[in-house]
Amino acid sequence: MIVKEFRQLRRDRRTLAMMIFLPILMLVVFGYAASFDVTTIRANVVGPQAERLAAVLPVPFEVEEVDPAGDRADAEMALRDGEVPVAFVTDPGGVTALLDGSELFIAKAAKASLSNLADQIPAGITSRVDVLFNEELETSAIMVPGLAAMILLFVGTVITSLGVVRERQAGTLEQLAVMPLGPWDVFLGKIAPYFVVAAIDMVVVIVAGVWLFDVPFRGSVLVLALGALLFLFVTLGIGVLISSVSQNQGQAIQLALMTLLPQVMLSGLIFPLSSMPGGVRWIGYVLPLTYFIQISRGVMLRGAPIDALWAPFLYIAILGAVVMGLATLRFRRSLAPGPPRRRREREPELQGAAR
Amino acid sequence: MTPLAQSVGVTRRFGHLVAVDGVNLQVNRGEVVGLLGANGAGKTTLIRMLLGLLPASDGHVRLFGLHPSRTTRRRIGYVPQGLGLYDDLTPDENLAFAQAAFGGQRGTLPPTLRPLAAVPVGRLPLGVQRRVAFAQALAHGPDLLVLDEPTSGVDPLARARLWETIRDAADAGAGALVTTHHMEEAEECDRLVIMADGRVVAEGTVAEIVGRARVVVVETEEWGRAFEAIEAAGLSAALVGRTLRVIDASVQDVERALGSLSAEISDAAATLEERFLELTVAAGSTEAA
Amino acid sequence: MSWGVRDLDVRFGEHRALQGVTLETPNGRVTGVVGGDGAGKTTLLRCLVGALTPDAGQVRRPDSRRIGYLASSSGTYPDLSVEENLAFAAMAYGVPAAEARTRADEYLERAGLAAARDRLAGNLSGGMRQKLGVIRAMLHRPELLVLDEPTTGIDPVSRADLWWLIASAAAEGAAVVLATAYLDEAERASWLLVLNDGRTLAEGTPEQIAAGVPGTIRVSSRRPLDEAARRSWRRGATWRIWSPETARAESGTVRPDLHDAVTVAALADELDGGVERGDAA
Repeated sequence: MIVKEFRQLRRDRRTLAMMIFLPILMLVVFGYAASFDVTTIRANVVGPQAERLAAVLPVPFEVEEVDPAGDRADAEMALRDGEVPVAFVTDPGGVTALLDGSELFIAKAAKASLSNLADQIPAGITSRVDVLFNEELETSAIMVPGLAAMILLFVGTVITSLGVVRERQAGTLEQLAVMPLGPWDVFLGKIAPYFVVAAIDMVVVIVAGVWLFDVPFRGSVLVLALGALLFLFVTLGIGVLISSVSQNQGQAIQLALMTLLPQVMLSGLIFPLSSMPGGVRWIGYVLPLTYFIQISRGVMLRGAPIDALWAPFLYIAILGAVVMGLATLRFRRSLAPGPPRRRREREPELQGAAR
Repeated sequence: MTPLAQSVGVTRRFGHLVAVDGVNLQVNRGEVVGLLGANGAGKTTLIRMLLGLLPASDGHVRLFGLHPSRTTRRRIGYVPQGLGLYDDLTPDENLAFAQAAFGGQRGTLPPTLRPLAAVPVGRLPLGVQRRVAFAQALAHGPDLLVLDEPTSGVDPLARARLWETIRDAADAGAGALVTTHHMEEAEECDRLVIMADGRVVAEGTVAEIVGRARVVVVETEEWGRAFEAIEAAGLSAALVGRTLRVIDASVQDVERALGSLSAEISDAAATLEERFLELTVAAGSTEAA
Repeated sequence: MSWGVRDLDVRFGEHRALQGVTLETPNGRVTGVVGGDGAGKTTLLRCLVGALTPDAGQVRRPDSRRIGYLASSSGTYPDLSVEENLAFAAMAYGVPAAEARTRADEYLERAGLAAARDRLAGNLSGGMRQKLGVIRAMLHRPELLVLDEPTTGIDPVSRADLWWLIASAAAEGAAVVLATAYLDEAERASWLLVLNDGRTLAEGTPEQIAAGVPGTIRVSSRRPLDEAARRSWRRGATWRIWSPETARAESGTVRPDLHDAVTVAALADELDGGVERGDAA
């Protein structure tokens, strides 16, 4: 039995891949990526004393932009637009540090640093710390937008791939190809329900977050909806692609999980990207989930306008077009004329028949 | 001489359902017995009891004169409908596994299959897979073969060759019990046992079973209308080529049903299949599960 | 206007699945495509319904709305009920609801499935599932009904019901094409095409094919030896030996039936340098 089982395992490439891939992923994540420690914090400095302050700002702060002519409003906008997580506003009264609460761990780290530095500030100069967008520094505030993103990801890849591969497993794909249904009818018909389900789920999560957990929703619903739509294109497309290379639901789940787990771990959903070393961080920058999380957190917590979020939008839009394009091509091909399986299928009687 | 497999008054109940009802069956050395029956007739349950996988509610089962046990299982070669091969292992690996499980010699592939010995079974054509399954079942020199639809879906020449293997085993002193849905295969057996509703409704050679059963044959250009007319009269018409054959009816019944439709009506000897349908319907079998 | 294929050639990489195959399928008739596993039946049928594009040759078929097709997998959704499966087919083919219901009721009743209307297709026995598949394929009164091995592995009672459905479709005027590996079933067709390794081995009515055996067939109760062994096959308790050259009827010869004719044709093909049966990789 043992010998046989090993032999079968050797040939099951997907399980083998999982057995190798998962431990490596876990190693990378927990070795390098899983950290809440922030080492550098980019910051803008504005106001009349900007240059002087910039010169003396210690580590972990790293000055990004110095704008002596700027004022608090400029600083706030920079934070809202996600340019920097921290901004220092200097005025005759003193120094105010503005922290972006939607970057929870950075804000916490900044706050801690600043309280340490308080001793070094000469007497007579007032210093204040204002946390914007997530004043209480609540974790739920950043988790809820992240969850909304997770749902779209989960329904889009896992659930969709299962649903589409079910067709192949039942052997009815061939039947569909011959029916008077165009490939578009079949394709849209297959993914539409999952689209609807994902959208409803997301709305439920956001509404629950706003009502039950007091998560703010400061931005434009339309912008978030657009972002969600584009992100769904990506995830649904990946789901269909997964189903096109899987023969049954078991295989589809394996592949879907392999695309899901890295995204959950390395997209900034749980562990902030800024805490990850560069070598690992670039993985995060390739994953689509990373960008939608930026969109959902930006819109919900900071009220960021669409032009501030142009980068994530663009990435997702392009990725969506590419993935959907590939998915429709492959789907059409599986419906269109192709070679039959080489061996005969098992007789239908075998499937759960009592004789 | 002790039969290789024997069931005496075997009954099996599942709650209220009587799946097998007082069946006497035996398979002797050198003979090939065919077991026919509709779905739900009890064939599978009976086989499972003969293999020792299921205990009987009444009556007893003997294999080689003994109670079914692990030892008797070693003397049986079983090929289920699904062939019982691992798709992701090669023929050689499948044979190795069987050898480790059953003891005895490792099965040898027929020489013409040697080139395919390293290809995973799942990628081989059905005819080849069947031959591998046969080789595996015969490897440990079983005294009794139990084969479930051994040549389903296979063309006549390949079927003849597979049956040669079965026959050769029988000639060498083994016995075979074959279940089949397929009249051509039934005709290869020495003796048939037909089951319906858990009971044996007929047994013997093909000729004995068909006996003197007759069917009414209708030949007409307007076979479509004839078909409808016969059906409307509550009779059962079957289309063969361009003629209709009606079982369980007399020539007068059919003439009356056709009315003014012009047709040549005669009667002819029933085929095994028609006789089988007659027996099954008479036993009151309806489609189970 | 009769449907069919002419000079069909289909290749999958190195493998020639079909070579120069021609088949006419007249309306109101049942045409049988016979052959074992790998003969090319499924490929031929898939070309006929438009699921596969041939590399060469012509296909004449009606618009997809007028075709009914049952692939060798049963083509039913296991997690939908019998009723729901038929409803989907009715909608896809544009059959008005009332008409669909009446037809479905009639066929389900006659095929013995009426009691199982609400049962999930996945919980049906093989025979019942195939019957459902055939009903689904003919619900919209197709002009061309193509069934790929609908009765393989099915018990005789279900098979009889299936043939009733097939006969009904032909009686309604459809051109029915049926693939089968069973010769006793093939005998029920009014025209046969026998395939082997993608090539036409024989064609004609069952009677014509049986009568077309060259030479004679002798029955012997002893195993033939040497050269004769290559021209013989076992059937039941005896051997049949084919002599291709002999024309005279000798003692011990039999009139060939369809089974003999097909076996001889396959043997001839093999002796001509074809691949040994059952070993084609």
